Amino acid sequence: MSDEHKIAIRVRDVSITFPTEDGPVTAVKNVSFDIRENEFFGIVGESGSGKSTVCRAITRLLPDRAEVTGEITVHAQKMLEMDLDRLRDIRGNGISMIFQNPSSHLNPLMTIGDQISETARFHYKRNREELNELAVSTLKDVRFSNPEGQVNAYPHQLSGGMKQRAMIGAALACDSKIIIADEPTTALDVTVQAEILDLLIKLRQERGLTIIIISHDLGVISQLCDRIAVMKDGELIEQGRTEEVILSPKEDYTRTLIASRPEAIRLHNSAWKGEPTESGNPVLAVNRASIYFGGQGRNAVVKAVEDVSFDVMRGDIVGVVGESGSGKSTIVRAMINLNTLSSGEILYDGRDVRNFKGAERVNFLRKVQMIFQHPQESLDPRFSIEQCIMEPLKLHKIVPKDRIASRVRELMEMVELSPDLLTRRPRDISGGQAQRVCIARALAMEPEVIIADEITSALDVTIQAQILRLLTRLKEQMGLTIVFVTHDLDVVRTFCNRVVVMQIGKLIETGTPQQIFETSSHDYTRRLVAAIPHLPQGLSQSETA
Amino acid sequence: MIIQLIVDRLKQLIPALLGVALVTFLLVHLIPGDPVALLAGDRASPETIAAVKTRYGLDQPIVVQLFYYLKNIAMGDLGQSLRFRIPVTELILQHLWPTALLMIMTILITIPCAIILAALAASHQDRPLDHAIRAFSVAGIAIPVFWIGIVLARIFSVQLGWFPVAGFGEGLWDNVYHLVLPSITLAIGIVPVLARNLRASLLEMMEADFVTAARSKGVPESYIFKRHVFMNALIPNLQLFGVIVAFLFGGTIVVEKVFAIPGIGQLLISSILGRDYYVVLGLTFFFAVFTMLVMLIVDLVSMLIDPRLRS
Amino acid sequence: MNALAIPMRAVRQLPGLFIVGFVITFAWIAVAILAPVLAPYDPDAIAFDALLTAPSPDHLMGTDQLGRDIFSRVLYGARVDLFMGVVGLIVPLVIGVFLGLLSGYFVGWTDTIIMRALDITIAFPFLVLVLAIVAVLGPGLSSYFVALALVAWVPYARLVRGQVKLIKQTDFIAATTSLGFGSTYTLIRHVLPNCIVPALVFAVTDFVLIILYGSSLGFLGMGAQPPTAEWGVMIADGQTYLSTAWWISFFPGLALLTLGVGAALLGDGTAKLMRVER
Repeated sequence: MSDEHKIAIRVRDVSITFPTEDGPVTAVKNVSFDIRENEFFGIVGESGSGKSTVCRAITRLLPDRAEVTGEITVHAQKMLEMDLDRLRDIRGNGISMIFQNPSSHLNPLMTIGDQISETARFHYKRNREELNELAVSTLKDVRFSNPEGQVNAYPHQLSGGMKQRAMIGAALACDSKIIIADEPTTALDVTVQAEILDLLIKLRQERGLTIIIISHDLGVISQLCDRIAVMKDGELIEQGRTEEVILSPKEDYTRTLIASRPEAIRLHNSAWKGEPTESGNPVLAVNRASIYFGGQGRNAVVKAVEDVSFDVMRGDIVGVVGESGSGKSTIVRAMINLNTLSSGEILYDGRDVRNFKGAERVNFLRKVQMIFQHPQESLDPRFSIEQCIMEPLKLHKIVPKDRIASRVRELMEMVELSPDLLTRRPRDISGGQAQRVCIARALAMEPEVIIADEITSALDVTIQAQILRLLTRLKEQMGLTIVFVTHDLDVVRTFCNRVVVMQIGKLIETGTPQQIFETSSHDYTRRLVAAIPHLPQGLSQSETA
Repeated sequence: MIIQLIVDRLKQLIPALLGVALVTFLLVHLIPGDPVALLAGDRASPETIAAVKTRYGLDQPIVVQLFYYLKNIAMGDLGQSLRFRIPVTELILQHLWPTALLMIMTILITIPCAIILAALAASHQDRPLDHAIRAFSVAGIAIPVFWIGIVLARIFSVQLGWFPVAGFGEGLWDNVYHLVLPSITLAIGIVPVLARNLRASLLEMMEADFVTAARSKGVPESYIFKRHVFMNALIPNLQLFGVIVAFLFGGTIVVEKVFAIPGIGQLLISSILGRDYYVVLGLTFFFAVFTMLVMLIVDLVSMLIDPRLRS
Repeated sequence: MNALAIPMRAVRQLPGLFIVGFVITFAWIAVAILAPVLAPYDPDAIAFDALLTAPSPDHLMGTDQLGRDIFSRVLYGARVDLFMGVVGLIVPLVIGVFLGLLSGYFVGWTDTIIMRALDITIAFPFLVLVLAIVAVLGPGLSSYFVALALVAWVPYARLVRGQVKLIKQTDFIAATTSLGFGSTYTLIRHVLPNCIVPALVFAVTDFVLIILYGSSLGFLGMGAQPPTAEWGVMIADGQTYLSTAWWISFFPGLALLTLGVGAALLGDGTAKLMRVER
């Protein structure tokens, strides 16, 4: 019953507007929600939803030029009218924030010990030894392995996970009972993410905290949170208890968000990707490939890829999956010679890819095309979309001159883009649209194999779903083979019919999705699979329209 | 560990030093006229001529001459002044102090001015004071230093009589008194560039993520500015400062002519006009080495401040 | 294809200072071109009956120690100094951009050699090196241009190389390689246009610096030689008469200052414009 739930934070009719060169932009429109004492509250949304902005308004961390209207009360204190001194008392010692990118949110010139005890220094007025002790004990609380030694470390000497934990420590160094976590694990590997989320759960228990988690990842949110709110384009679409919202969403956007998740897609369309090809020769064969960097002068040798072997069969969709540093991107780039092998070989249809020269090389590159993670960086910002797609057609004389313009239009149609976009520049279209342009450009080369290197990692989840659907449709229509590199295991499980798992340059195992995700006996694979955040059980096919 | 870093940086300097020496050597060889005659003088005896030839290896192939040149430099022998018949090194040392004092005074004026202007502009961002300072720092690079010196001399020395028009004076305080106008002149040339870059860095750092993070901890703004914004803004500007000191050398040449200060700038000009080639080239080499030393010190200071540079 | 493609929106927001800079600079360019029409006297005409006269309606900026009209000399001086700025700019720009592209794109030995050359060149203070070269080649504008060609390319190479390295950190070049485009084609058609803007922006500021250094040389007697009406030379001439005929040094310096300030504001405005476009 609602009386039993004390309200910690009350947000009422909050709107936030920013003045820009093109006129005022409303980032948050009339948003209202309550955060209850001691709960885990999640705010989920894609880019531009305003989820981050509205939470920063709680402690007024927005730039001065932002206009905030409405009411925000924390423990019955009105935040928007509070004077600055009182506000500073509460920041760090009542409400604390942790941020998405721990590298940029830590001062590179200060030790983490200093950055943790900074808060205490101004809230409590302690002396040097006491501050140091506080820093060390905080590091213990956030599970550092060697607090006394690491308290004097600088941020650049720590891993992403450790930096994030240091930030959490800084947030908890004083007496904050409310934590706002803005995408705390988005920049981290999935296994590290699991550790951090685990840490947050434990800390909430130990200290009786109230935690707001902001994320684009519905899986993370639903695993942790008691209640959630869904935001889109500055508006609050719906909110409620997690199970209710996810298992019986009321709004269309919520349904789309849920349905875009690979696991939802998987539950809905189970058998469309086809069985993996068992017979015949591999179109691409990686044989005992190793790629080492560095080793000159005093630079240590980096073994980016070590003794990796796997086959790509015609017609398969092979998912190459691993965390950062696994070497997955490095090895697929070597397939088209963007990286040089230090030993071993890669064969295309039985021929070593390094032996293609001149016209043969162009032919090879036409057959094996690569698409990259950041579409707007892969396109020349000075070219129009039409010029981008036209370029390979012209240079390689793929179609006669008088056919070029119509071929470009055909390709745009294939990737479901309106010809209106042809005169625009890459900067003026969305990320999803730009990625489709890159796909169109790749298709212009008439490939057999498409290597997709993290092509959806930089995109919102709904856009990702669209791109993946496009890719699989094209595969069916054109009989393509796809090599799909990603860190997202859910995507691999849903879209690929073969999986290659890599870790720190080595190949852990290969197999079908069922073998990898359900019956693997490798320790790392099982840890990886266990770390994937899931939607609540009971997600039935009816919700995944 | 710091020693190791210093040694490393010194080792990196060596190729550049060699390159500098090579360039100077090449320039020496472009000097018109017979070097033996120049060095030994018009009425030299055969023994003197022979001695000169041996000392500088002048009858040997060019590669060997280079070797002699390098060896001589390493021992501090930059050749002879053709006008005064004394070693170049000695001549340089005689003229060093006025220039050194001028540079010190200029730096002492420049740094506080630049920091204050940049900090004022950054904290009043987009308000009139900021616009004024920015306009000054942009237009400031176009101020012809020698002309400003003349204008200042005309107003403050000739008209108002507050400062001496030219010369260096006797004794430390008199020296300083004579160098007030010259150092202000030089400072006017540098402060705009430094202030502009420092302001840009400060503004960039003020929007930095870790500043938002510090603010979210309830840390006071003044502390944020000192410890977070300023220190991080300083790093790219240390490099710039090194470049500016190097630029100062060029500036002193001109200012010394305007105010008739007997420093190495004056020496350079008179040596060029007087065709005292070895002095010219010795000075060139000297300037280059000094610039490299300044850059080295800047690098070391940067390493002290920024832990990322120590690995 | 228009490499500069400035959007109309940016043009509307031009800061006032940029317009001021633009107007001043182009006014001086106009003056330089129209000098023969605008100047009331022949700049080299010596007049013994009008030595060291103060500014008056007859001689707007007074006369110098040889009776030459300063106003006319300032106008003709604009030709010399602007010529110096433009010519002195082109060769270093071309050399610098070229070397910077090669150095950034091909890395390896090319990069190492160019970087070494860069290190050595920056070790010498600019004016010192120019003076040394002028000492050996003899005074005059052509020596100055030679010195510039040898030395002034460095900032351009640095800027372009930096841009190329930035581009290399993205997948831009990987993408063009994967599409089978050759190195030369990629360099010219894709890399160069995307790297050249910072160099062009710097060029406007460099223009000011080249004129300042050139007139400093003139002041020191090493640059343009008398009787050429170069502003630096004129300022040097006037130094002897500082207490008696201040106008000889004052007006050429004022001209130098205004041209410099105008070009500097233009350069800064251009930089801002380019940033707006991003």
